[in-house]
Amino acid sequence: MTAKAKEAKGRKGAAATPAPAAGRPEIPARYSRQILFEEIGSEGQARLMASKAVLVGCGALGTVQASFLVRAGVGTLRIIDRDFVEESNLQRQILFDEEDVRALLPKAVAAEKKLRATNSLVRVEGVVEDLNASTVARLLDGFDLILDATDNFDARFLLNDYAVKTGTPWIYGACVGSYGLTFPILPGETACLRCVFESAPPPGLSPTCDTAGVLGPIVGIVASLQAAEALKILTGRRERVTRRMAVMDVWEGRLDLIDQPPRDPACPCCFRREFSYLEGTLGSDTATMCGRNAVQIRRRDGLRLDLDEVASRLGPLGATEKNRFLVRADIDQYRLTVFADGRAIISGTQDPAVAKSIYSRYVGT
Amino acid sequence: MTVTIQVPPPLRSRCGGASELSLSAPSVRAALEQLERNHPALYSGICDETGKVRRHVNLFVNKHHVRDREGLDTALAPGDVITILPAVSGG
Repeated sequence: MTAKAKEAKGRKGAAATPAPAAGRPEIPARYSRQILFEEIGSEGQARLMASKAVLVGCGALGTVQASFLVRAGVGTLRIIDRDFVEESNLQRQILFDEEDVRALLPKAVAAEKKLRATNSLVRVEGVVEDLNASTVARLLDGFDLILDATDNFDARFLLNDYAVKTGTPWIYGACVGSYGLTFPILPGETACLRCVFESAPPPGLSPTCDTAGVLGPIVGIVASLQAAEALKILTGRRERVTRRMAVMDVWEGRLDLIDQPPRDPACPCCFRREFSYLEGTLGSDTATMCGRNAVQIRRRDGLRLDLDEVASRLGPLGATEKNRFLVRADIDQYRLTVFADGRAIISGTQDPAVAKSIYSRYVGT
Repeated sequence: MTVTIQVPPPLRSRCGGASELSLSAPSVRAALEQLERNHPALYSGICDETGKVRRHVNLFVNKHHVRDREGLDTALAPGDVITILPAVSGG
């Protein structure tokens, strides 16, 4: 079999990504090392250059994935993020620098600027918005692939609902401390996120990067594996997408590959097709508290918090008080008042997106 | 019937920092019952008040999901490894 015939044979199942225009595609020389990689070649590169990916979140995992995809030559990359660059981001969020912190730049704006300077052939579009049930369809419509770089499960379950409903592949990745995991989700073929994790960890039961820290190298490896799966999908090599979950601990030097469980016939999302996060019947809900410079976050899932556990995690981060009804902590310029039913009042902001971000960081979802 | 339980970093503070625990149990259910007695904080991170595995936690025996085997009744053999995989939200 000739190399070309082999390449054509390997293209089975590539229908999800756009085919390149007829005739020999013009491939810029900057991609020469990538097209030498036999499984991509010129045809795969042309597909990549015609593809559109959307990245949700542009923090640690997002900056690494965005860098690789833009350097690799994805056609379009939309970057959605609701947050601003802070000094404590610079240890692991590789697209940002001290000037971005001084300028109080939104992450999506700072990332767009850096990435355009990195590869002017890619259409990079930074969007400073909160992804929620009312914005998701507008923000994610028309993309070949969704990349997960969020920091909370409300957003991920929303992505999962959207991806399953529209048949769009997406790649879950997450990390905390020195530990992380990632696996791709191909709707209809593999387990979806809710087949694997039916619900979010109850608030307080799962450490977050803002309570337990996170190391740059675990971010790098998780995001690199996500980017590799993205390249397979966007170059038309969907059949090469791994069906395993990668679980890593860089401090212990461990990488375990675990069989991805099959689809769960009881899955509310991909089997019963109940898109509760898209419909807004599950997940958190926010309300700005008039005249109080505060936002209330209310959960809809009925989960209860262990207030002792919340207090012990927040204690080292700022002045923390607890009674039998609530935990109150002053962290940076914000005051968090967290109730046993998972409700929280975030004082110091009127912006629901900021409040959700603070909640995800310190209470967890 | 000694088996190993691999404790992921997010749950290690619940068992004195141990990354692995060894115990003797004929099934996954029996292993969890031992955890309930000997490491109650770890157990409560894996199972809820009704004894069900929490909905954000997965259990694997030798890297195969217990859902694909016999669930909590999955029999254990000497040397088997139980991996606990909780949902991780950071990013």
